[in-house]
Amino acid sequence: MIAFIHDGSFEGFLTSIYEAYYNPKKPEEIFSEFSYEGELFYEPINIVTKEEKHEKVYKAIKEKIGTQAMYNIYYCFLCGDKYSHSLAYKYVKLGFKIGKDIDLHLHNPVVLSVINCVQKVQREKHRMLGFVRFKDVTRDLLYASIEPDHNILSLLANHFSQRLPKERWIIHDLKRNIAIIHKDGEWVLCNLCGGQEPINNSKDEDIYEKLWKQYFVSTTIKERTNSRLQKHHMPKRYWKHLLETESTPPFK
Amino acid sequence: MDIIEKLKILSDAAKYDVSCSSSGSNRKNTNNGIGNASASGICHSFTPDGRCISLLKVLLTNYCVYDCSYCINRISNDIPRAVFTPEELAELTINFYKRNYIEGLFLSSAVINNPNHTMELLTKCVKLLRKVYKFNGYIHLKAIPGADEYLIKEAGLYADRMSVNIELPSSNSLKLLAPQKKKENILKPMGLIKNSIIETKDSLKFIKSTPQFVPGGQSTQLIVGATPENDLKIIKLTEGLYKKYSLKRVYFSAYVPVVQNNPKLPLISHPPLLREHRLYQADWLLRFYGFKASELLKEDNPNFDTNYDPKTSWALNNIHIFPIEVNKASYEMLLRVPGIGVRSALRIVAARKVAFLTYDNLKKLGVVMKRAQYFITCKGKYSGDTTFDLTNIKQRLTPSIRELMKINESQYEQLSFFSGLPDLYKPNDILSKINGEL
Repeated sequence: MIAFIHDGSFEGFLTSIYEAYYNPKKPEEIFSEFSYEGELFYEPINIVTKEEKHEKVYKAIKEKIGTQAMYNIYYCFLCGDKYSHSLAYKYVKLGFKIGKDIDLHLHNPVVLSVINCVQKVQREKHRMLGFVRFKDVTRDLLYASIEPDHNILSLLANHFSQRLPKERWIIHDLKRNIAIIHKDGEWVLCNLCGGQEPINNSKDEDIYEKLWKQYFVSTTIKERTNSRLQKHHMPKRYWKHLLETESTPPFK
Repeated sequence: MDIIEKLKILSDAAKYDVSCSSSGSNRKNTNNGIGNASASGICHSFTPDGRCISLLKVLLTNYCVYDCSYCINRISNDIPRAVFTPEELAELTINFYKRNYIEGLFLSSAVINNPNHTMELLTKCVKLLRKVYKFNGYIHLKAIPGADEYLIKEAGLYADRMSVNIELPSSNSLKLLAPQKKKENILKPMGLIKNSIIETKDSLKFIKSTPQFVPGGQSTQLIVGATPENDLKIIKLTEGLYKKYSLKRVYFSAYVPVVQNNPKLPLISHPPLLREHRLYQADWLLRFYGFKASELLKEDNPNFDTNYDPKTSWALNNIHIFPIEVNKASYEMLLRVPGIGVRSALRIVAARKVAFLTYDNLKKLGVVMKRAQYFITCKGKYSGDTTFDLTNIKQRLTPSIRELMKINESQYEQLSFFSGLPDLYKPNDILSKINGEL
């Protein structure tokens, strides 16, 4: 069984699609090099990203399947599941066959899986807009660390740069070791070297962190305690980077 | 008094105002400002009682001249009192906002001196935030009943949402528990805000530089369980409020017994959460599912069923129009099937353009087949696991005692012959309350 391994970028993924069409060896799966762990049954073929190849695929998808489908493919690509790139590849093949109506085919398991995957990524992005917590480091830099399931970092950039245009801030994705760095109205997404630790580990709180923790406690109505509901809205895996939940008793 | 102590007192006092949304406004940031508003609203955190925190919800002060029986801040209650200065409030808001803890500010107040004075102070605070601190995030401001027209009109220029809490669902209850408040004083600002919103929208069509007035609309709150009104009365009032004042939301707040030993207030140990939950479900039905209040409850059946959500209850009472064919029924009819929510109905309407839908398809699309199966046919085939008969269906849909007992971990009660039925509800209901899908 053949698997294409690309360099992890969206352009790399689109190049793999190009190769899958024109290469005589068709792949069973497409993986990103970060999630491929050398599985036993696959014969890996590395794909080199080439601009004219991915440009062609991008244009073809937009023309033949439509902008909504392009959006779906991109969001599916961002999904943290290992097989999501293969799913997107199957969706593209189906899309070239069916055309612009593809999203109506919800009875087709590939289409339905893609739509569900897109929803997962959208949901996490929306949650993250709320769960990012900046820490005021050196009085001039705001630093936040997150560990999202899916690769949503790039989706957060525009939101925060419109909100905080005059501040210098960094949002650091610890899992993938990439970060958005913003200064003077412009932002850049880049890789960071080093381990998967947050850059700023200082435990000293500034006054606003104390105030926020106090606010969190005093705004709770104890007669209506419902930790299940709280956990449903704010899954525990996000609590590591939220400061206010230190005071919440652990869920039994 | 230091700022932490002030925040503790004034956020504790504000928590019974349950409105928490930060949606409805797409205010843009200005050139040298900070912040913008997100039209869909963003929840930043969730408290242990399951409610979302998206705004810094505080009272400007809890010094009050009124003596409303149900309120913790009434003048006759001996509690620590505090007041923020506008600068303290602004610094808090801006710094919380910068750290992405909040979407904005929710500012309410107890009535200090008189309504006009309080309204002036509130307006001063939000004006400072907007003009001096250049804050463009979300601001939800309360309008104080009894304040002059021009004060409310000025305040609306700075706020994204305004609200006036009706609290007590009938004028009799108002006379009993809050005799200093007048019904006309509560409804007048709501009418004023509604008219000003319409005027501004009209004006914006011709003059682009018209300043915004409360772009996020208005809302209000009703307390459930402090007074003897039945569900029918409350839901009819809700429907009337949406029609007459074009409100965005009506919130229901289960009465939390913070006041003991008052003969005018009911002696309950737990807030009536199930009742509040059913009212919210009914509220969604009014707004998104095309129901009318008169369809959900009648004079001879004025309270919601504990066993079934309002949509299922309605379906059981109108069983003669079911089962409906899922491949042919209109969108409006699909919405009325228990277990099909707005999202599922839209998906069904889209998918059936290209294929006939079967029982398995529906399940994958997100329809709650546990309930929906009894009310639909797929390609003519009835999908329920029992014959189409009212008694059988009712029996299948009634939750078991064990399910009802699983409320949440802290509310197990030893039932005795002398206690009334405790408030119980299915864990599955919790989800429908949030996403509105029934």
